[in-house]
Amino acid sequence: MSNSVPFNLDPPGTYIYTGEMASKGYQLTRFGLSLRKPANREKFLADEVGYMRDAGLSDAEIALVRTRDWTGLIQAGGHLQAMLKVAATVGQNLWHIGAHNAGMEVEELMKITPRKVRAVPGGKD
Amino acid sequence: MARIVGGFGISHTPSMGMEYDKGMAKGFDPRWQKWFDGTRAVKAWLEKIRPERLVIVYNDHLNHFDFDAYPTLAIGVAPSFRQADEGWGPRPFPSLVGDVDLGWHLTNRLVRGGYDLTVCQDLAVDHGIYSWFPYLFDTPWDIPIVPLAINMVRHPIPTNERLHGLGKALGEAIRSFPGDQRTVVISTGGMSHQISGARFGIANEALDEFFLSKIKDDVQELVDIPQEEMMRLGGTEASELAIWFSMRGALSDNLVERHRYYTFPAITGCGVIVLEEKAA
Ligand SMILES: [Fe+2]
Repeated sequence: MSNSVPFNLDPPGTYIYTGEMASKGYQLTRFGLSLRKPANREKFLADEVGYMRDAGLSDAEIALVRTRDWTGLIQAGGHLQAMLKVAATVGQNLWHIGAHNAGMEVEELMKITPRKVRAVPGGKD
Repeated sequence: MARIVGGFGISHTPSMGMEYDKGMAKGFDPRWQKWFDGTRAVKAWLEKIRPERLVIVYNDHLNHFDFDAYPTLAIGVAPSFRQADEGWGPRPFPSLVGDVDLGWHLTNRLVRGGYDLTVCQDLAVDHGIYSWFPYLFDTPWDIPIVPLAINMVRHPIPTNERLHGLGKALGEAIRSFPGDQRTVVISTGGMSHQISGARFGIANEALDEFFLSKIKDDVQELVDIPQEEMMRLGGTEASELAIWFSMRGALSDNLVERHRYYTFPAITGCGVIVLEEKAA
């Protein structure tokens, strides 16, 4: 993926979190938000797969978390804010999610961000 | 009756709070130094205008609520609001002080006026407020607040028109509260930014400056811009700017702009505008 930022709301540039996504990813999001509690973060770190099975995640969802496939998780309906809790728990952060989404290394993304564009409503893109 | 003496709109981001803590401990990153310098005038204005109540319209980022029940419009009515743990532990700050009487008064007025708020008697507040509050208000925090939380995390989000109307109703409700408390209305939401998808990191300074230049005198022009258009040009999370319409709606049209500042430190456009009521 290059540094060009398209002015449209289509994937893979953008994933809009709709009701459909919320239903599809309900368990994933709920799992991510369970990590708001420090005790759950410890439990998860001690046994990732066991914790996720107890949380009712499917094998496919567990595999996405195990491989830190942030893009796959977002496509599966995991809300970004909930996946951010997962990232924080495993020692990653928003940049790791963003870099995975943008198909770049973290350092590369940090170097080109802010990715400046210029357009106002009613003007030319 | 309570008096609205002014209001401000301000960006929030998790990193804004973390960079403040780091900066206070061992000096600021130059990109963030600009923002903290740029907001000193807001603190000075607050010290001059001496608010006795703060009504803050913000959004939760799945740090208190979850999708078992996510309110579209909510109000916090409690004597205090603790800080939410966002996944990396809370920052070293006290809870916010609430005003229960004002909270119920606003609830009664707004619900009877057509704004069906979910009432939260226990509400943990995230970076939506905690990221900027500590450097605008010195501790101990003793100015009581009433927070209103707006859904910005799952579409459909409330329309621009609705949030502008909520602000107008909020203004009337505040002005009918017994007493003569000097009240400041605050709205907070990120400016241009997008934190997922391949467009991660989009930064549209022209869009943010455009928004800041219009909100005082041409707010209807902004309200009329479709939310999708703001998201297309400024990133999905630029939709949070809709929250700013509530602050503007609560104020009159007889305003002086006291301060405006804008910069783009990292992932989110950081802007602030302070509007004071001429009659204040
Ligand atoms: Fe936000």
